[in-house]
Amino acid sequence: MEVLIALAIGILTACGVYLVLRARTFPVVLGLTLLSYGVNLFLFAAGRLAVGRPPVIAAGSPGYTDPLPQALVLTAIVIGFAMTAFVIVLAIKARSELGNDHVDGSHGP
Amino acid sequence: MGPGMSHLAVLPLLLPLLTGTLLLLLRRLDIRIRRGLAFASLAGLIGLALLLTRVVDGGEILVYTLGDWPAPFGIVLVADRLAVWLLLATALLALPALFYAIQGGAGAIDRDGRHFHVLFQLELFGLNGAFLTGDLFNLFVFFEVLLIASYGLLLHGGGRARTRAGLHYVVLNLAGSTLFLFAVGTLFGVLGTLNMADLAVRVAAAPPESAPLVRAAGLLLFGVFALKAALIPLHLWLPAAYAETGAAVAALFAVMTKVGAYSILRVSTLVFGPQAGVGADLIQPWLLPLGLATLAAGIVGVMGSDRLRRQVAYLVVASVGTLVAGLGLGTAPGIGAGLYYLPHSAFAAAAFFILADLIARQRGALGDRLDPGPILGRHWTLAGLFFVLSVLVVGLPPLSGFVGKFLILRAALEQPAAPWVLGTVLGCGLLGLMAMARSGSLIFYRATEPGPEPVHASASAARPPPPPPSARGLAPITLLLALAVALTLWAGPLFDYTRATAEQLLDPAEYIQAVLGAGP
Amino acid sequence: MNLPLAVLAPFLGALLVAWVSRRGTNHAAWAAAGVTLATLALLAPLLPAPFAGHTVIQRLTWMPSVGLDLGFRLDGFGMLFALMILGIGLLIVLYARYYFSERDPLGRFYAEMMLFMGSMLGVVLSENVIQLLVFWELTSLSSFLLISYWPQREEARRGSRMALTVTGAGGLALLGGLLILGQIAGSYELTDILAAGDRIRAHPLYLPALVLILLGAFTKSAQFPFQFWLPNAMAAPTPVSAYLHSATMVKAGVFLLARLFPALSGTPEWLVLVGGTGLATLLVGAVIALFKHDLKGLLAYSTISHLGLIAMLFGIGTPLSALAGVFHIINHATFKASLFMAAGIIDHETGTRDMRRINGLWRTMPHTATLAMVAAAAMAGVPLFNGFLSKEMFFTEAVGVSERMDLGWLVPLAVTVAGVFAVAYSLRFIHDVFFNGEPVDLPRSPHEPPRWMKVPVEILVAICLLVGMLPALTVEPILAVAAQGVLQGPLPPHDLAIWHGFSPAFAMSLLALAGGGLLYLGRRPLFRLHTHLEGRLETRKVYDWLVAGLFGLGRWATDRVDTGSLQRMLAVFFCSALVLGAAGLWSDLSLDGGRAGLPPDGVSLLAALSLGTVAVLAAAWHRRRLTALLLVGAVGLVVSIAFVKLSAPDLALTQLSVEVVTVVLLLLALYFLPQESPPEPGIWRHARDLALAIGAGLGAAALAWGVATRPLDSIGDYFLTNSVPGGGGANAVNVILVDFRGFDTLGEITVLAIAAIGIYAMLDRLRLPAPERDWTGRAWDSDVHPVVLAAFARILLPLALLVSVFVFLRGHNLPGGGFIAGLVTAVALILQYLANGVSWTNDRLPGDLHPTIGAGLLIATLTGLGSLVLGYPFLSSAHGHVHLPLLGDLELASAMAFDLGVYLAVVGATLSILIHLGLLHRGSHNPDAHAAAGRETD
Repeated sequence: MEVLIALAIGILTACGVYLVLRARTFPVVLGLTLLSYGVNLFLFAAGRLAVGRPPVIAAGSPGYTDPLPQALVLTAIVIGFAMTAFVIVLAIKARSELGNDHVDGSHGP
Repeated sequence: MGPGMSHLAVLPLLLPLLTGTLLLLLRRLDIRIRRGLAFASLAGLIGLALLLTRVVDGGEILVYTLGDWPAPFGIVLVADRLAVWLLLATALLALPALFYAIQGGAGAIDRDGRHFHVLFQLELFGLNGAFLTGDLFNLFVFFEVLLIASYGLLLHGGGRARTRAGLHYVVLNLAGSTLFLFAVGTLFGVLGTLNMADLAVRVAAAPPESAPLVRAAGLLLFGVFALKAALIPLHLWLPAAYAETGAAVAALFAVMTKVGAYSILRVSTLVFGPQAGVGADLIQPWLLPLGLATLAAGIVGVMGSDRLRRQVAYLVVASVGTLVAGLGLGTAPGIGAGLYYLPHSAFAAAAFFILADLIARQRGALGDRLDPGPILGRHWTLAGLFFVLSVLVVGLPPLSGFVGKFLILRAALEQPAAPWVLGTVLGCGLLGLMAMARSGSLIFYRATEPGPEPVHASASAARPPPPPPSARGLAPITLLLALAVALTLWAGPLFDYTRATAEQLLDPAEYIQAVLGAGP
Repeated sequence: MNLPLAVLAPFLGALLVAWVSRRGTNHAAWAAAGVTLATLALLAPLLPAPFAGHTVIQRLTWMPSVGLDLGFRLDGFGMLFALMILGIGLLIVLYARYYFSERDPLGRFYAEMMLFMGSMLGVVLSENVIQLLVFWELTSLSSFLLISYWPQREEARRGSRMALTVTGAGGLALLGGLLILGQIAGSYELTDILAAGDRIRAHPLYLPALVLILLGAFTKSAQFPFQFWLPNAMAAPTPVSAYLHSATMVKAGVFLLARLFPALSGTPEWLVLVGGTGLATLLVGAVIALFKHDLKGLLAYSTISHLGLIAMLFGIGTPLSALAGVFHIINHATFKASLFMAAGIIDHETGTRDMRRINGLWRTMPHTATLAMVAAAAMAGVPLFNGFLSKEMFFTEAVGVSERMDLGWLVPLAVTVAGVFAVAYSLRFIHDVFFNGEPVDLPRSPHEPPRWMKVPVEILVAICLLVGMLPALTVEPILAVAAQGVLQGPLPPHDLAIWHGFSPAFAMSLLALAGGGLLYLGRRPLFRLHTHLEGRLETRKVYDWLVAGLFGLGRWATDRVDTGSLQRMLAVFFCSALVLGAAGLWSDLSLDGGRAGLPPDGVSLLAALSLGTVAVLAAAWHRRRLTALLLVGAVGLVVSIAFVKLSAPDLALTQLSVEVVTVVLLLLALYFLPQESPPEPGIWRHARDLALAIGAGLGAAALAWGVATRPLDSIGDYFLTNSVPGGGGANAVNVILVDFRGFDTLGEITVLAIAAIGIYAMLDRLRLPAPERDWTGRAWDSDVHPVVLAAFARILLPLALLVSVFVFLRGHNLPGGGFIAGLVTAVALILQYLANGVSWTNDRLPGDLHPTIGAGLLIATLTGLGSLVLGYPFLSSAHGHVHLPLLGDLELASAMAFDLGVYLAVVGATLSILIHLGLLHRGSHNPDAHAAAGRETD
């Protein structure tokens, strides 16, 4: 399982980085989204993986996984959402200001 | 800590947060009232910072356990000498910046777009949080707060070049935030804690097999902070971002790079200091070379710029280099010198950004390009200010810039790298002097009576150049200069403070004891 | 405390002068004179001390911890300079009053002159060498202002910048040298440094320190090869040249040589460097001076030559030579200042300084001519004038040094040659200007200047004569104390008689006089040769080339590096991250922590597989944006499923709801962006990006693997054990969010709020051209919103709200909480917009969401503040039981109020973001929607 998660994180990061390095704003935003998925999974995996042990205190539970990373990831997700929203709107503004959606606003429409 | 504890440490966060929220709710009120609120909050911040300085000057470290949860489980705020020094610098810098933002009547920066004051207050919330928090993940959160607020401020007013610079700044920092999370995740995954004092303890005790992960995480963290601090080669975002945004914002941003420098210093001394076992001296060795290289790169940019504001932005890069080189010396005198240099460089850069704006506003389409232009209103006043600020920023006697450089060089002499430091710092000082002399000569000495100059004429046809700055318009610069003079006059006690700060940092046991020892 | 005050006075005086000058030039002149006299008065009471052999030292603490206190020192040598600075300064004040025309801003001149005077006093009266350097640099800065007094003149601008650059560079080198010196001596106080001479000379760092200090001294005193800035500085008004470039500033360099004489002199290095440079300068200056057609040019090079002479005297390093050096400092100051003033008068009266045009002025201005001739005779070293005495001593020393080295006989030869040229150019100065036929079309018809303009010259010339004829009676006492100040010890036996018998030195003087005469007579071929060589071998050209090169290089490098390309910045960033990460992991690459992991099962395998494929496809097909977006959305779904599987229900819920909102948001945004990305050229760039991507992927995977496979000792258990008793909630994650680490959450909703505000500010005043048709070419359907969807949405709304309330309330104990509830609400409301349109919804909902956001933040903060009131730290929580129908026994914690704040902030922010994008949408169809938007103005 750890291998799978590690691989998933790796692939997400790789695709994210590749997209972030593109020349147009929209792929860059998608790349950032993928990166945030990747890093959220990573943060989550940093608390180790467990099946059927949600950190909700209940009688007769087999045990609990570490709740802290989950809280961190939750915060990270929210912040990531805020950032994505901001940057995508900025992309729109950039297009209207610069006339095209190239990240440097150059190289024709 | 139980009831009756001092809430002093948390107030520098609550004040701007509440003010920002109120300004958001009361945004339909008359702008004068909102400005009043903003200034009141700043005055309060300065007062609080001074109060805190008095408390921590004795060497006491204030620890504030948020939610009354003991460290390392809850989040703690830690007000030591370093944090308070930066709080004070930030508050003092914000005042003239805000003052400049409300200048110019209808054309005032804070009217040119929405929610300036809200963003400004929340930016301060983020900055102060970053300085005060003792928790690594919470530091991440506050980085995000100050970043998103800075995005808003940077883009405030809009415009082509500004939007492009903003887009680059935002995307680059989002990538940085991702890296930050990777680093935090790794550290937590290996050491199982987030509190920085606890991290220090656990790093020191970590088994050798966890060395690669810990070291990788630490260096990634350094990379994130280096991006914020604009260390070479991660400095390329700064010139455009600072040169294109509004002058008041640029003035406030003069402290933004310092957040990066602060974090580097905090982490490299507390968590990855010489005592840190598998993470021992992880970051320190990188600082001096990178600092000197950044200084050189900045000065090259200063010589190569064709616009004044870009030149000033590159001067910021250079000052970051000098600062980090000072920190990189790693000794109490060196770090102390760097910390003395820190507020100086912020004040100087802020003043210069404002001056550049005052000049550019009067030159119509010519703007801040380094070409001979018309004779300006209050020409010789501005010229005089340019002269003094150049002396200040280049580090010539007799102002604080010189004191800072002297302290850094003096500290460097005790080290094998002395020739490098001396050569780079002095050489760059000379090049900077030449460049600023050239710019001043171009703008002021070669100015001609505004005649039928095509570029300028077309601009004045579009909109007549604004009237020359009033005495009130020069007040922010005067204030910043006064701060620099104060830094010079009281250099003795101030350096004693910063050196004591450095000593406190170099002996993290005190900090750790204060944090982990403090519980209910 | 007179010394600090005396140094401070001129600086304050500058302000006074600048202020007074508004009332007219005379006021300015009087003020300047007053300031100078006041400064003299401040020094007066201390003057007896040096004569009594005492050194006055006065201190003010500044930075004691780094040995940097303000220390002021008055010994014989400092006193001599102080008197020269103030005395000649006073004469300059008078002279300048008549030199400048009414159009010139005299106030500025006097103010800047006072600045310079103060700086110069600071240099000569400093006890602390770092403080000396401070004033040293101030002289460079103030001289920059003085030289560029007429900024509209090109040569003034370049001359001033050149002077600033060269002397500034020297100053920085000097700083380095003094720092090292202080390091060696263990103090920056002159007293200690002068006492530590032997230790300094023996120290391994002696040579670097010496070289750096000499760089400072030589640049300031225009020693070869740095002499070129001085002639260019002649663009300054003549009073400036007379003051700075004869008597004071250029003397600062030799002052420093003399000041540090006891500490540094007496080594072979000193003799070679100082003596050699001095000799070279002496020769170069003397030779070039002869060929200058510009009056001031001739004087400038003669100054250079004499400075070389003085430097050489100190370089020789015997007590007697040092004494001679001090003596020549005095003499040169007097005759050169008077000569500059005379040149100024001539310039003033004839309107030119070109000696090829100025001829035969003897007839029109005999008085000035006489004065000039006396001074020139002193400059040439003619007996009975003061120049002769010090020059005689100099020749003696030159002979003396020649016996100390092999090939030494060259030294007397060289100095005699220099003497020959000195006589020649002095002769030329007299003959060319005052005789030599008729003037050639002068701009003005010359006549004697105003009476008071000549007075300063007369005074100085009188001194030249008195000293020249009665040295023992006039100059001896002050010379003695000054020399003692330099040597910091007893004086060598010497006598200032005019006649020492027929010594070799006297022979050399005669040779110089005779040779000079002959050389001047036979000058024609030499001049031809010179015009032939004109412009070659000029150090100034090297300087210009260097400066131009430096700036060119800077521009070139900046253009290369600072291209403003985001892609490059990002590539650099990722690259640095990889390097840093690798540097960390390098120590050993066996990352496996050896912890027994979970067995992978088929479902997970499938999930991971699909996740990977979808992600890769998204990257591969990124140019078809809608496709890519949907694929990314799919990735998000898989991630949330993974969260379910891996016992993180809260995360799953959050991820899911965020996913929905994000996709809606990106869809809305995509409407305004091109639907396709154009192909990007450049194979190698793709290769680079792929490499970076793969590297990053490997790095992330490695970290994940390394972390996930090792045992963890986390603080997490604390939260599990304290969640119920301490936090009053069974859902540990939610309790962490709203209680243990509520502060994170407060920051998080602040981020959300700022994002909403920032987006609002960005979209404000933004008008977008909407595409008329979509990418397939079909026109957009401007049809009203589908009835079914509308009806469905309206039914759905209350349900959704109920759900969100439920999710919110149970959040503390079961998966859920304010954030998820907020998103559910937001989604439900968004649906209304999509289904019923903005106007319909705006009529039923508050269009303005800022209050909601603000309220959210406020509630959250105030909840935290509540505990402050009760004396507990910010965000401390309390909890108790209540019984609600349906939900049953409920643990109600104060943290829930905090969570309510979160809820409101999330609803407000999310809605505000989406709605504004939506409004932008409708605005692009029909403008009236902006009326709806208009409701939300502030």
